[in-house]
Amino acid sequence: MRNDLDVSDDLSAVSARGLGRRFSLQWAVRDVTFVLPPRSVLLVVGPNASGKTTLLRLLATALRPTDGGGSVFGRDLVRDANAVRVLTAFVGTSAGAYDLLTVRENLAFAAAMRGRPDAPVATWLDRVGLTPVADDPVRVLSSGMKRRLALAQAWLAAPRLLLLDEPYGGLDRDGLALVAEMTEDTTRRGGSVVIATHEWERVMNAADALLALAAGRPVEVGPVAQLTAADLAAAAAGRR
Amino acid sequence: MNGILRAAAVARKDLRVEWRGRQTITATGMVALLMILLLGFVVGSEPARAAAILWVAMGFAAVLGIPRVTQGEVDQQALETLLLYPGSREHLYWGKCAALTVMLSALLIALLVLLGVLFGVDVWDHAGALVGVGVLGVVGLSAIGTLLAALVLHVRGRELLMPLLLLPLALPVVLGCVRLTEAILTGTAAGLWPAVLVSFDAVSVLVCPILFEVVMEEV
Amino acid sequence: MRTQTALGAAAVLLLAAAVYIGLFASPPDAFEGEYVRIMYAHVPNAWVAYLAFAITFAASVLYLWKRRPAYDHVAHSATELGVLFTGLALATGSIWGRPVWGTWWTWDARLVTTAMLFLIYTAALLVRGLSDDPLRGARLAAVIGIVGFLDVPIIHYSVAWFRTLHQPASIAPGSLKIAPPMLLALMLSLLAFTVFFMYLLRLRTNLARLEAGGEMR
Repeated sequence: MRNDLDVSDDLSAVSARGLGRRFSLQWAVRDVTFVLPPRSVLLVVGPNASGKTTLLRLLATALRPTDGGGSVFGRDLVRDANAVRVLTAFVGTSAGAYDLLTVRENLAFAAAMRGRPDAPVATWLDRVGLTPVADDPVRVLSSGMKRRLALAQAWLAAPRLLLLDEPYGGLDRDGLALVAEMTEDTTRRGGSVVIATHEWERVMNAADALLALAAGRPVEVGPVAQLTAADLAAAAAGRR
Repeated sequence: MNGILRAAAVARKDLRVEWRGRQTITATGMVALLMILLLGFVVGSEPARAAAILWVAMGFAAVLGIPRVTQGEVDQQALETLLLYPGSREHLYWGKCAALTVMLSALLIALLVLLGVLFGVDVWDHAGALVGVGVLGVVGLSAIGTLLAALVLHVRGRELLMPLLLLPLALPVVLGCVRLTEAILTGTAAGLWPAVLVSFDAVSVLVCPILFEVVMEEV
Repeated sequence: MRTQTALGAAAVLLLAAAVYIGLFASPPDAFEGEYVRIMYAHVPNAWVAYLAFAITFAASVLYLWKRRPAYDHVAHSATELGVLFTGLALATGSIWGRPVWGTWWTWDARLVTTAMLFLIYTAALLVRGLSDDPLRGARLAAVIGIVGFLDVPIIHYSVAWFRTLHQPASIAPGSLKIAPPMLLALMLSLLAFTVFFMYLLRLRTNLARLEAGGEMR
C-alpha cells in the first residue's frame, strides 16, 4: 500500500494513523493510514459496506475510533474533538433538516448553531438555488432540494475540511455544479475536501488523491494522476 | 461560541416544531386527560384527591412525552447533524430542557383548569401559587427527563426503560408536588416540601447537563 | 488468587459463625420470639445492598472520568450484586414482617426507598444488556449509577415525610432497642455478610474482566 502524498504531518489537512472502528465484533474500518495536504480533494471509493461512511464519520468526530487515531489540521480527533468540529462540515446521506420548518428556518437554525446567527441566510439560499422554495416546509421538498439545503448548511460554516458522503444523489445538473463550486471554494480558501462516492467519474478530474476501501481496509492510497480510468474502476469495485 | 444563543436556538426550534406538529402535547394531553377521568371516577372526585390524581397524571404524561425530546431528532435523521455542531453539548441540553419545561407547563395549566371543573376545587383563587409549585415540579421532571430521553435513545426496550427510570427517580417531585398542591388548596402549612423540590431541582440542574454530555458522546 | 482464596475462606468462616450465633446461640426476642433471627439476615442484606450502591457510584464516577475498563467491571459487578442483595433485603423484610406485624409489606420509608433502589439497579443492568454497543452500555449504566445514587437520599426523605402527616411512623425493625447478646450477633452477621460481599465482588469482577478479554480479537 503506497502513500505517495509526501507532506509532513503538521501541514496536513487530514492525518490518519491506523484508524479503525469496530461495532461489537465487526470491524467497519481498519488500518486506514494516509495524509491529505491542504487545498486537496480526496476521493474515497469502494463497494457497498466497504467502510466509506464510517471513515467519514470518524473524521467528522461523529464516532470515536476504536483503534488508531487521526487529526484534522493538527487537532486530534479525540482529544480536540470540538476544535475539529469547528473546522469541519459533514454532509451525510440524510438532509439533517426538520420537516415542519421552512427552508429558511432550517438554514437560520444551522447558522445559529454554528455560531453565526447573523449569517446572510437569504444570500446562501440564493447561492444554492433555493430562493423559490425558501418559505416552504422541508416536508414538501424533493430529495434534490433537500440535498441542496444540506449543502447550504455545510457551506455557510466555511469549513476547512468538507466531508461529503454520496453528495450527488438526486441532484440535477445545476446541483452537481454546486458540489463542484463548493469543492473549489473550500480548496481555494486553503481547506480540503473528502468525497466518498460511487460516482467517481464525476470527481475524477477534480480529485488529487484516491483512497480505495474494501471490507473496511484500504486497498489503494495515492495520487489520482498516476491512475487510469480502468484503475479507478477496479479500485471502486474493491479490486487492486 | 455563545452558549445561550445556541441553547435558545434549540429551544426555539423544538417549540416551533412542536407548535406545527403538536405531537407531544396531543399524546401527553390525551394520557393525562384519560388518567384524570378514570382515576376521578374510580377513586373518587373529592377535592382531597385532586392533588394526587393531578400529579400521578402528570407523571405518566411525562413518561410518554419525554422520549419525544430526542426521538423527534432521530425520526428526522437530524440527530447526527445536531451533535456535530461545534460547541458544548450542554447547550443542547439546556435548549431541550427549556422547551420541555414550557410544554409540560402548558399541559399543567390545562390540567389545573380541568381539575377546577371536575373536582370542584378552587383553582382560581390560588392560581399563582399552584402554577408556581407546578413549575417547580415541571422543572424537576424536565431536568431529569431530558437526560433520560437521551439515555434511552439507543437502547432497545425504550418503552420499558423510560417509566422504570423516570418514576423512581422523579418520585420526590411527584410526592412533593402532591403535598404542596394539597397544602395550597386546603390552606395548610407547606412544611419542608419546598426544600425537597428545590433541592431536587438544584441537584438535577447541576448534574444532568454534565451527564447528558457523557450520554451524547457518540451519535 | 491468594487474596481471593483468603477472602473466601474468611467469608465462609464468618458466615458459619454468624449462622451459628444467629440461629442458635443468641437469645430469642422478648416481643418477637424466634422471628427476630430473620433480622440477622435482613439488616446485613440491606446494608450490603446500600454498600454495593455506593461502590457502584464510586466506580461509575471513576469509569466516566478515567475510562479504564477495570472500573466498569467493578461497577457492573457491584450493580449485579446490588440487585441480588436488594432483592434479598426486600424478601427477608417481607418474610419478617408477616409473622411479626401480620403484613407482607409495610409502606415504611426504608422499604419503599429500597424498592425504588431495586428498580433503579435493574434499569442499570437492563441498559447494559439492551445496548447494541457494550461500551455505550457501560457508559449509560454508569450514568444511571451516578444519578441514582445522588437521588436516593432525596427519595428517602420525600417518602419518609409523605406519610408522617397521615400515620405515625411505623416502628422500623432497626430502631428497636437491642440487648447486648443480640447486638453482638447482629454485628457479627454484618461483618460476615460484608466480607462475603467483598469476596463475591472480587469473584464477579474477575469474571467480568475475563469475559471482556475474550471478546477482543
